[in-house]
Amino acid sequence: MKKFALYPGCVMPTEQYAYEMSIREILPKLDVELVDIKDFSCCGEPIKSVNQMLTLTLSARNIAIAEKENLDIFAPCPMCHLALSEAKRVLDTEPEMKQRVNEKLADEGLKYNGSSNLLSILDLLYNVVGIEKIKKAVKKPLENVKTATHYGCHLIRPSEIGRSDDSENPQKIEEILKIIGMKPAYYSEKLDCCGGLLTANLPESALAKTGQKLQRVQEQGFDCFVDTCPWCHRQYDSKQTKAGETVAAKLEMPVYYLTQVIGLSMGISSDKLGLDLNLSPVDKLSLGGKET
Amino acid sequence: MSNKIGVFVCHCGINISQTVDVKKLVDYAKILDGVAVSKDYKYMCSDVGANLIKDSIKKHKLEGVVIACCSPRMHEHTFRGVVEDGGINAFNLEIANIREQCSWAHTDKQRATEKAKALVRSAVAKAKLLEPLEKSKIKVTPKALVIGGGIAGIQSALDLAEEGHKVYLVEKSPTLGGRMAQLDKTFPTLDCSGCILTPKMMEAANHPNIELLTYSEVVGIEGSIGNYTVKIKKKARFVDLDKCTGCGDCADACRMKGHVPSDFDENMGKRSAIYMPFPQAVPLKCTVDPNYCLMLTKGKCGTGPLCVQACQAGAIDFKQKDEELQVKVGAIIVTTGYDLMDPESVYELGYSKSADVITSLQMERLINSSGPTAGEILRPSTGEKPKSLTYILCVGSRDETENPWCCRIGCMSALKQMYLLKEKLGDDIELNICYIDIRSFGKGYEEFYRKIRGININFFHGKPSEVRLTNDYLSIDIFDKTTNKLFEIKTDMVVLVPALVPRADSDEITKILRISRGTDGFLLEAHPKLKPVDTATNGIFIAGCCQAPKDIQDTVAQASAAAARAANILSKKELEAEPQVSYVDEDLCSGCGTCIMVCPYSAIELLKEKDGKSHAKVNEALCMGCGACVAACPSGAMQQRGFKDKQLMPMIDETV
Repeated sequence: MKKFALYPGCVMPTEQYAYEMSIREILPKLDVELVDIKDFSCCGEPIKSVNQMLTLTLSARNIAIAEKENLDIFAPCPMCHLALSEAKRVLDTEPEMKQRVNEKLADEGLKYNGSSNLLSILDLLYNVVGIEKIKKAVKKPLENVKTATHYGCHLIRPSEIGRSDDSENPQKIEEILKIIGMKPAYYSEKLDCCGGLLTANLPESALAKTGQKLQRVQEQGFDCFVDTCPWCHRQYDSKQTKAGETVAAKLEMPVYYLTQVIGLSMGISSDKLGLDLNLSPVDKLSLGGKET
Repeated sequence: MSNKIGVFVCHCGINISQTVDVKKLVDYAKILDGVAVSKDYKYMCSDVGANLIKDSIKKHKLEGVVIACCSPRMHEHTFRGVVEDGGINAFNLEIANIREQCSWAHTDKQRATEKAKALVRSAVAKAKLLEPLEKSKIKVTPKALVIGGGIAGIQSALDLAEEGHKVYLVEKSPTLGGRMAQLDKTFPTLDCSGCILTPKMMEAANHPNIELLTYSEVVGIEGSIGNYTVKIKKKARFVDLDKCTGCGDCADACRMKGHVPSDFDENMGKRSAIYMPFPQAVPLKCTVDPNYCLMLTKGKCGTGPLCVQACQAGAIDFKQKDEELQVKVGAIIVTTGYDLMDPESVYELGYSKSADVITSLQMERLINSSGPTAGEILRPSTGEKPKSLTYILCVGSRDETENPWCCRIGCMSALKQMYLLKEKLGDDIELNICYIDIRSFGKGYEEFYRKIRGININFFHGKPSEVRLTNDYLSIDIFDKTTNKLFEIKTDMVVLVPALVPRADSDEITKILRISRGTDGFLLEAHPKLKPVDTATNGIFIAGCCQAPKDIQDTVAQASAAAARAANILSKKELEAEPQVSYVDEDLCSGCGTCIMVCPYSAIELLKEKDGKSHAKVNEALCMGCGACVAACPSGAMQQRGFKDKQLMPMIDETV
């Protein structure tokens, strides 16, 4: 059993419960133990454009807390994972910044050393658990489901700092989906933006980006859509109906978290994976069959 | 020990004198032990300065000379001649570099003057201990080797052959011609590439002084400037060159006809397993492709090889073996050319995803009338004429994640191709081009660009991030910087113009020749401005795109330059060898071999003596005098003439 500190971030525990439920459900069955740590705070990313030093310090603080427990961090939210990774890069390469940040952390008796690794959902599933172990855990392969994958931007960019997959031709989600029986297929809009980050300033444009992509996915005959980022999922799943209105299309695309479809293939019941919390028409497909 | 040293201080205009007090320096030198005379002049490298030195040598019967001036890299050679004209050995000269290492580097005049004094003092200490050295003579083999039979190699070989030197022209593919043979027309004049190239290929093949070795590779080299021994592997063609008439009946008969991807056509077409790359190939002979021929891969071909039945001359011989031959040459010119970067590494541009995304060299083959489509422009996925084509420039060029350099031919070749496409497909064809900058720098290039801008082509100033595939067309979002607008291009074919990169096998050839490559992987010239075709190894020259990307004009000019440089060597009966090389004190040498490991020129070998002991021996013709072995030798047995420990240590004593 490998142990990781679960860094929940803000979106997952406040509105995207399904992601958290499915993570807590499948990972222990794949020999990963998740440890909850009380003191975690915001990753800092939302205030980066206003105060970079504060962002850096907040990220460093979270990593330092995990270091104190001798644990690597698992950050399921790709945006949190990026914020923490960027901070780690700065702190590990710029001794002066590390010293400045550590002076601030000293107030709480914390110190950033750089000993903890940061893992995204894809790092954890693909590198730590591994394709073989997932394959062994599959009980009900989700066969003949033509699936569109969505990586989101934070998981794969910027490539310079080392992200979880290739920034132009990511394939790890596809490999995992194939193992659980699904049929991921190429579509040229695969790397298009979900629009989520435009929401605060240009809400209409944000929904239009979401709608355009889902419309193209629907037109190309995909059965479902799989993502890993709570921000993206909010757009594609929670706001799907509204997004459809912006492109004058009736969207009926089931949208799942990667962890949910893995769970279904492992024979875990849909209520344990939070499927009833998905707002897109996931009932259209009876993935994993009737509840047992 | 000579005690009659003359010190000559140069002002270098004001380059030295504005930071170093020359008068004080001259007076200081006068009182140094062993100095007989000390003088200054405004430009010591001028005729007047040279005469001042010569006259002083004679008048004061000087035994050694110190010149305080610029770096020895500038004028040491000149001053050696001056000293020799004055009547003493050229190597009884020491330069004190008070310009680059003093006046240019400092601003405080008083302290700079003190430093200059120390430099002169230490140079005098060494000059007193210098010994006269004699240059040895090396006989020259008046023949040349040219590696690579593209336009650069052909030009170099022809130039040398015309001067009367025997040339071995080695080409690894079955024919001369290189990349230029693959092109349809050349920019900016729109000359037919084949029409201007093939006469040169014929001339090279028929020249009495050129021995053509096609389908051959250089596999080993020994020796040094003036005397190289080269091992060349002649790969088996499985065709007797004397018997083959080049009729091509064998290729028509071959069972594999239409099944073998044609590398000459950049895999846009298929050929037979026995083939002639293109109709004007030189030599006009067929070659069997050992990777595809059924006889060579499976050992049998149906009921018997059809090519053998078809060949009336009886030229096909499956028993042929690779041959190795040795030639002796005095100079080598490397003209191995370039590769195109595989655009698959820029995944988002779709080269690996769609047959309709091709490279500019593939388009060149489509345009060419002897190409796979006989000159018809057909969309690979459908075989129909395209209605719209889009060029993307700088694919992997000027891109820090791929290659930072400019390919120097991409813009012009794309403009040229678009002009030819308009001619071939009519004015209805929609042509788009996405560019970062259009670089039209050569003679007549800008004029050609203006002409192209005047015809109906859509120029988009920007680089697309992606080529998208839909069922029946390719789509590109492009933000045009000129109009500040986002455009969506729907197009039938995309032509990528990829970066020019070093040949995939250039590492092998540099190891065989012991020459260097730059950080970009291209072969490295000795000096980017003043020795652009020399390498750091004397006697080996480079030309064409193996040195850096360039167009045909520049390639030909450089090839002639390299030939002229090589002729400098070949036209001499003997060469003078620099005497400032390493030598071994055999009594001190334990034969540990450390020097052999550090020598970059493989100039040292270990000799076994009768008593079982061994010691190092320097091949003075190979030694370049870098001094690496001297520094590495643990016992002090390795010494360099002109830089012996006993000459250098007093310099240190005087300065520290």
